Order: sequence, then C-alpha cells, then structure tokens
Amino acid sequence: MHSILTNGKPPNKREILRLVKERDVRYIRMAFVDILGISKNVMIPATELERAFAGKVTFDGGSIDGFVRGEEADMMLLPDLSTFAVYPWTAGGHQEARLICDIATPDGEPFEGCPRTTLQRAIDDASDVLSGVTSGFEVEFYLFELGPDGAPTTSSADCGSYFDINESDRGENVRMEIVSALEAMGLAVASAHHEHGAGQHEIDIKETGPLGAADALVTIRTVAKHVAARHGLHATFMPKPSEALAGSGAHVYFTLPKGAAESASQSDDELAEDTLFAIGGLLEHAPAFTAICNPTVNSYKRLVAAWDAPIYTVWSRRSANSLVRVPSSENGGSRIEMRSADGACNPYLAMAVLLASLAHGVRTHALPGDPLTGSTYDLNERERERRRIRTLPKSLRQALVELEKDLVVRGALGDHIYHAFRDAKFAEYESYRRAVHPWERTAYLRIY
Amino acid sequence: MIESAVMSADELIEFAEGLARIAGTGGGPKALAAHLAALLEAAVLVEDAEWRHVALTGAGGRAVPPSCRDAVAGAPKDERPVRIETPGSGPSGVAVRIRGGDAPMGWLSVFPASAPADGRVGALRLTAAAIGVELSRDAGGGKNRRKSFWDRLIARAYDDPIEAKDDASARGIALASHYVGVAIEAEGLEESVATVKMGDLRRIALETLRSGSGDIAVLERGGGFVFLCPAPLEVDAANVRTAATLIPRAAAKTHFGAKIVGGIGRAAEAVAAHRTVDEARESMFIARRLFGGSRVIPYDDLGVYPLLLRGGATSAELGTFSDRILAPLRAYDEKHQTELVRTLRLYFEVGQNVKTAAAELSVHRHTVFYRLRQIAEISGHDLDSAHDQLTLRTAMAIDALNPHER
Repeated sequence: MHSILTNGKPPNKREILRLVKERDVRYIRMAFVDILGISKNVMIPATELERAFAGKVTFDGGSIDGFVRGEEADMMLLPDLSTFAVYPWTAGGHQEARLICDIATPDGEPFEGCPRTTLQRAIDDASDVLSGVTSGFEVEFYLFELGPDGAPTTSSADCGSYFDINESDRGENVRMEIVSALEAMGLAVASAHHEHGAGQHEIDIKETGPLGAADALVTIRTVAKHVAARHGLHATFMPKPSEALAGSGAHVYFTLPKGAAESASQSDDELAEDTLFAIGGLLEHAPAFTAICNPTVNSYKRLVAAWDAPIYTVWSRRSANSLVRVPSSENGGSRIEMRSADGACNPYLAMAVLLASLAHGVRTHALPGDPLTGSTYDLNERERERRRIRTLPKSLRQALVELEKDLVVRGALGDHIYHAFRDAKFAEYESYRRAVHPWERTAYLRIY
Repeated sequence: MIESAVMSADELIEFAEGLARIAGTGGGPKALAAHLAALLEAAVLVEDAEWRHVALTGAGGRAVPPSCRDAVAGAPKDERPVRIETPGSGPSGVAVRIRGGDAPMGWLSVFPASAPADGRVGALRLTAAAIGVELSRDAGGGKNRRKSFWDRLIARAYDDPIEAKDDASARGIALASHYVGVAIEAEGLEESVATVKMGDLRRIALETLRSGSGDIAVLERGGGFVFLCPAPLEVDAANVRTAATLIPRAAAKTHFGAKIVGGIGRAAEAVAAHRTVDEARESMFIARRLFGGSRVIPYDDLGVYPLLLRGGATSAELGTFSDRILAPLRAYDEKHQTELVRTLRLYFEVGQNVKTAAAELSVHRHTVFYRLRQIAEISGHDLDSAHDQLTLRTAMAIDALNPHER
C-alpha cells in the first residue's frame, strides 16, 4: 500500500514533508496495533515529523494489552514510510495523515511483542521457500443502525443479499464511500459488494506483499468505522453479531509464484507442487492457527455448519464451505484462499502464522490429499476418518489448547506474543464462561 | 523308489552325515536335493518362497508338476508333510516346508514313481532343514531378508494377512494394511550412463514419494522400479498418487535428462499387493502407448483402457468398471434428486448437442451446461477430453447392456 500521492512508489522523508506541506496536514497519527489486533495511535503535530522519522516518538508500553513489561515501559515507534497516507477527511477542520509503525525497545531493538515486526520476521523466515508470495484479504462486515442512545444495534434497514443493488440502501452508499476513501489512501481495492446478510458487505483488496495486506486490513477496519459513523451507522467486523445472520469472515489468500519446472510440465488445472505442499501445510496447522485467526469467543459461533462457514480441515477447488479453496489457476500461479479467519483477528499475527504454516508445508512436502467435491457438511465421521480430516476447534478454549501443541505456529508468534496472547485469551474465555447469557435465562429460568 | 519300510536309525544317520558332507563342502540346495533324489530314486523339486525353482533333480524325463503351489495352498502351518495328489495319471508326491529359523523359505516336493511311503519322511525333513539353512544363508542380512519379503508378497506367497504380518515383523518390516504400487521407468537412457541414471531415478522417486507416505519398498522390475507405498487410509493413497505424478517434475528440476514414464495402481490390501503392482505396470504400459511426454498416470485415470488392453473382460469386470465410473453420479442423483446420469446419457445420445439435449430434457440449455459442469466435477472426467469421453461412453454403454439392480 503505497501512497497514490507518490505515484505508487514508497515515499521518502523529503517527499512526505513536501506532501504534508502541500496538503496542509496538521496532525500525524503514528498507528500500531496491540497483540489483540486493536488499532492504537499516538498523534503528533506535523511539526514533529522529523523527530518521528528519527524514532524518537515513544509511548507507554505498559498501558497496552500484551506489552506489559515494567522495565520496557517506554517503547519507540518506528514509522514505515511506505505506509504514509493522508486521511480523506478532516478532524475539527484539520487535515490528518497516518504512518503505520513498528515498535522498538528503548535501546532501538525490535520489540518481540510487536505484531508487525513479528510478521516481518515470519516473512523473512519463509523467504527460502515462499519468496515472491503475494497475499490479500476479502473482509466482510456489517453496517448496522445506531440506537436512540447512540449505541450500535444489530439491525439494518437494508434487506439486500449477495451482490444486490438497492437504491434505498444507505449501506450501499456508505460502502462506496469507504472504498473511495481507501483508494484515496492508496489502498488497491479489487472489488466490493453486498454480502449474504442484510447490512453485510465485503471488500476485497488486490494482492500485495503479506505485510501490505495486513496493513490494508487494519486500514479497512479504521476507515469503515470512521465513514460509517459519519453516516450514523456502525461498521462491525465482529465475527457473528447475531445467530440469525451470516457470520463475517476475512478470507486470506496467497499466490505462490510458479516455478519454471512447473510451467513447463503442467496444464492450467494442475497445481504446482509447492502450492500443493502449501495447502498441506495449512491443513496440518489449521487447528493451531485457528486461535490466532479466530481469536474471540464469538468467532466460534461463526464456525458452524451454516452459511458456508468452514468447519473441517478440507480443501477443494470449488466448494464454498471448505477451509481452503483453490480455484483454477490464473496468471501463472494458483491462488490459495484460506477461509476460516475473521475480521476480529490481528492481521499481522494471522498472516505470520499462515505464512509459517505454508512454509512448513513446502519444506516438509506435506501433501493435502485429494480435493473435496461437494459440500463439506455432508461428510460423515467415517469419511472424515478415511481422509484424515480434522474438525476445527469449536471454542476459543479448544483452539488455545491446539495452539499450545503446535510448535510451528507458536514459533511464528515468538515466546513473548504467544504467552501474552494465550494469557489474555484464556482470561477472555474464562470471563465468558462465567457470564450467564440471555440464552441460558430463556432456556432455563422458567423450567428449573 | 520309496519303500514301505521305515528307515532305520543307522540309515537315517548315514543319510544325515551325507547331507552334512555336501553342505560342508559347499554343495548348495541342488546338491542336497540330488542326495535325497538318489536315496529315494524320485524326482525332487525345491521351490523358494516366491515359487521360483531352486532345484529340480531325479526326474529322468518323467513329467513332474511345475509347482506344488496349488497342492499346498491352505496346508496346516505345522511340519507335517502334505500329500500331493495330481488329477488323472499324473505323478503323486509329498511336500514338506523349508524353513530358515521361523521364516518360511519354500517347499521341498518329492515325486517317486509309486506312492510315497511315510517311512522316508524323516529323510525329507532332514533335507528340507539342510536346504533351509542354505537358503537362509543366501538371503543374507536384514536387507536381503526384507527384500525377499517384498518379493514374496508380490509373488502372492501369503493368503493370510496375519501370516504376512508376522513374517514381515520377523524381518523388521512394519506391514501397513494397504499399499499403492508405483511403477517408474526412464526411457531412452544411453547404456554408458544407464547405471548412474537408474540410481538417480531411484533417489528422485523415493524422495518425492516420501512426501506421501512412510516406509516404502523398492523392487527392481524390468528396466525400472516398482515402489510399494503404504497407504492405510484413503488420504494416504491420494497423497501417494499426487506424489507419484510429481516425479517427472522433480526429475526435470534436477535435469535428469530422460523421459520418465510410470503408472500408479489403486490401493490394495497388503496380501493383495500384487494387484496394485500389476495395475501400476499396466498403467505405465498404457501411458507409454497413449500419452506423450513424461507422465506418471494413475490407474483410476485410465478409464476404459485397462479393459481394452486385457481384451476379453468378463461381464463382472465390465460391470465393476461401469459402476466405478458412474457411481459418484448415481450417488449424487440419489441424494439430491437430480438427473445427472440421464442428462449425460441423453447428451451422448444426441451427439453432444446441448440444444437438442435441453429439448429432450425439457430444460433450458443453460441448465444442461450447468449439469455438464456438475458431471465433470463429480465424476472427475473432463467432457472435452476424448479419453474421458470414451470412458464415460463405454461405462454408459455397458450399463445400458447390463442393467443391474440398484
């Protein structure tokens, strides 16, 4: 994601200073995410940019989830200049821009708790077998009405479904505005459309490097919420806002470059061997990376046998509810679509564990079995056993247990992030477990 | 000639000393068999565990059965001799097992001119024991013992899975429940580099196949190799197939420099491993004849060609073939109340004219296109491929000629 203000090239410091001056940018948001994937930022006046370039903007790491480490409280923000973008709106009449940052320790060393740095390390680690891999997201979200008290509801005036055009649907216009804002910020949108649920939409980004794709998802979440709020709506990437509605996923896709040996000997419908091995890697590590790609207790209410959500470690060429889908080859490579992730994930960590799984598959020549035809929901236990198909975790707790057992996925996270994530998520699950939910009152209050 | 009289202890000792002398002076199974033939004035046949002739002596122009294999099939596992009764006027005889330690090494059969007498069985058993020692010595260390197991398995030496598993275990092999055979050959190798290239081919194929399964048996057959890959589950068989089809690409990456052709059998139980090996070699033969370039083709993808190659398939074989091809479509029709099989039949009947087929089916032609895409996906056959069309058309024709209860 490079600024359209610099013709798609990564801007350097001088160009950023020029743009800030030209566009009268008053404030810069130094953006980063915490371990749970929540967007954070430190705002600085544009006059402080030189200091920011020098990595002298710091923040109190102790107050951020997962960053807690008494002796490393003051963390440094190292901006990635290629992420510079001017927001297509003003705040209080002032123009804002943003820079996505990596986090460093006070002595300038990469912080092992920084999700973005973790992804960069995963990219480096996988470069021996995945050099040139491109990736992207297809992210779904709902645009809901706000209640009289201004709090988000789960209702939408929209009653459209897949690809509908409805002039009276406010959501259509809001989605268009979101796309327009994203493009203005230099994000390459491939397509956008109405999704299955009333008020549900999808935005697909063009493939780019894994780091750019993760940056893009963070940007989409921020921009969608901002634009929706300006229209009196609430954009939510919550995986399953209501049991009556289709869940929202964030499909992640990868394209491995096709090697010369493959090009010479395979037809369009044959997959390159590294692609096959990569699929094998995804299926092998899926139960473990589910905790990262589906990180909330709510995520598991989406991963049920309905609305084409994946529930088994299955791949196919066409089936809409498989975990991994690999449509026919195009443009000299095969696109691997991993369908279980949701928009609540930390995109940097999700991308890191997925890359590690892909790379491990290629290194170990993990084969994925035959692709499934038809619906995965039709598979009975015996068929699953014959194909050695596993069920994806059905709860956050189960997913955390699977994560604990998989050293490849844990290795991609690093010890710091693994332990911080695990502790936070076990606490989240425990809090959920102790809560008494409305369903329970409806089901039990009268009869017991 | 075998006499009815029981050999005395002295005679037996003398005979045993003769065996020891022969063995001690380097005489092998043939010399030991000849010693017995001289005593009994009978034809003596020694077969190893793969039913290969180790020795045939003393026949003197008389007709001797080529093997005692059929006669001893299902014989008790103990040391009792097995009578060989040949139908008609053929010779009758007696056979005893040859063992090397606990491992079965073959059979020793004796065919005297008249009915054998139990009184000389002691001499047979002593000879069998001496030959067992020789054959064990020939089999050498663990590697040879393992190799000879796989040879035996392919030679259908085991009827009983437990016997096969026990024997495998005795030779340090963990026998899987099912195997997939992969046959590979390199074509057009110059003689001067053939030995080195064959070594390369073996290594490349093994490395590629290892991505699909665990312990793989390698057998040299003809000018190439047969690999027996364990496939206890359906997914393992699928992975072996996929891995095997990748062998030419793996070879190309290493600049192997020769065309590789091969075939892949279907998964078979361990005791029926010969079947998957036969299918693999058959697939390789068909691949060489029909398809250019370096390819390793699964038997399942060859459709009707194996039937044509054999020429003269039985009605049951034809029915099995037709069922195998059409079963996925029938299952889908039954489950989803669709008409894929009927659509396919009509599509062929009207000369693949979608418009006419649509009219016959009273549906829009887009529906026919949709169904044809479904048929291709579910059956795994490409309707634009002449080979796949032949397979589907043949399956439909067999089905029309031999409708069976469903």
